Parts: sequence; C-alpha cells; structure tokens
Amino acid sequence: MHEPDDALAAVVALRRLADRLEDAAVEQAMRAGWSWPEVAEALGVTRQAVHKKHAKRLIAAGVALRRRQ
Amino acid sequence: MSKIDHYIDAIIRQGMAEAQEDGSADTEAHHLLLALASHEGTAAHAALGSAGLDRQAIRAALDREFEHSLSAAGVSLAAYDLPTPSRDPDRRPRLGASARLAIERAIAAATGKRDLRPGHLLLGILEAELGTVPRALALAGVDRTALMADVRQPLAAGSW
Repeated sequence: MHEPDDALAAVVALRRLADRLEDAAVEQAMRAGWSWPEVAEALGVTRQAVHKKHAKRLIAAGVALRRRQ
Repeated sequence: MSKIDHYIDAIIRQGMAEAQEDGSADTEAHHLLLALASHEGTAAHAALGSAGLDRQAIRAALDREFEHSLSAAGVSLAAYDLPTPSRDPDRRPRLGASARLAIERAIAAATGKRDLRPGHLLLGILEAELGTVPRALALAGVDRTALMADVRQPLAAGSW
C-alpha cells in the first residue's frame, strides 16, 4: 500500500464502511425474520453484544423482532 | 451561560446530529465542521463561505475523502448496494478523540476563555494536519493554511 497516511486513512474508512455494512446487514436479516442468536452466530459475536448494539434502533424503526431465545 | 457557551453547545448538538445521520458512534471533528458551516453570523461561517465551503460542499468533500481512502485499500463504495439502516433517535454519539482535540486546540488558540469565539473553534478544527478533515479539504482543492489566515484576520479585529 501507498504512503502511511493513505494506509491509515484507509483503516479509518474501512472501519466506517464495516460499521455501516453491519447496521444495514443486521437490519436486513432481522426484517427477514432472523433471530438474535442466528445473527450473532453469523457475525461471530455473542447475542448479548448484537442485541445491545442494534435492538434499540430496530425497535425504534418498528422492525418486528423475534423474541430472544 | 455566556454567548460562546451557547454557541459551543449548539455546535456540539448539531455535530451529534450529523454523527447520528452518518451512523457514526462518535461525534468527530468533521461533524463539528459541518455544524460550523450551518451556523450563520460568525467570522468562521464567512471564512468557510468565501472558500466555497457551505455545509453541502463540506459533505461532498467528506464523501469524496471516504471513497478515496477506501480505494487505497482496493475497496469501491459503488460495489455495495446497501439499504440505508434505521437509526436510534435517542442515541447521543459521544465526543470522539478528533472532536475533543479540536476543542482543546480552539481553547489554546484563544487568549483565555473570555476571548474564545467561533473562529477559534474553526481554527481548532483546521489545525489538524492529519485525519479526515485535512484530507477532505485537500481533495476539494482548499488551501487549509490560507483558510486559517482568513479566520485569524477577523478574529484579531475582534469579530464574533
């Protein structure tokens, strides 16, 4: 990769993109009827982590969520 | 609260709203810059305006920097057809490291708290030589040093 500043800026941009992608992908899955444990397993994180990070905004958006199992 | 306290409070609130719209966990320096460009009646706003930097132009420059930086890692934003995710309206993005540094630099640029004005906040943001803001401005063809001089002048003359 190029100069250090380009490489470091790419890290910042990739983190931003990954965050956006996660928000969009989790919402897409939950709207499609996935459960929290399924989404968590697919992401390789605990269901507490995924619930804590995404539940409030999805509830606020009126997404019908399956009960936590 | 003094006039500058009200101003800083308004800028931080607006910056948080910008961060939330971005889906960003933190309010960063570039979110504060977008907020500064939205608040009229300051020397900072005038200096940004004469450099062609209204809120929309800054947003465009930031988007361009994002795409440019991704491309350095071989990633194209055009390859992602993402639905816009829903946001939590109650979430308050905390002040990130770059925003805190900008505020610290603003205070350092003023001669004491009583001297602190909006232009100092812009200087605090523009002083960063590394990170998203200077990269976005450079890509937009903005001379950051000249812009800083354009803010210092009215500040020295006592403008708000």
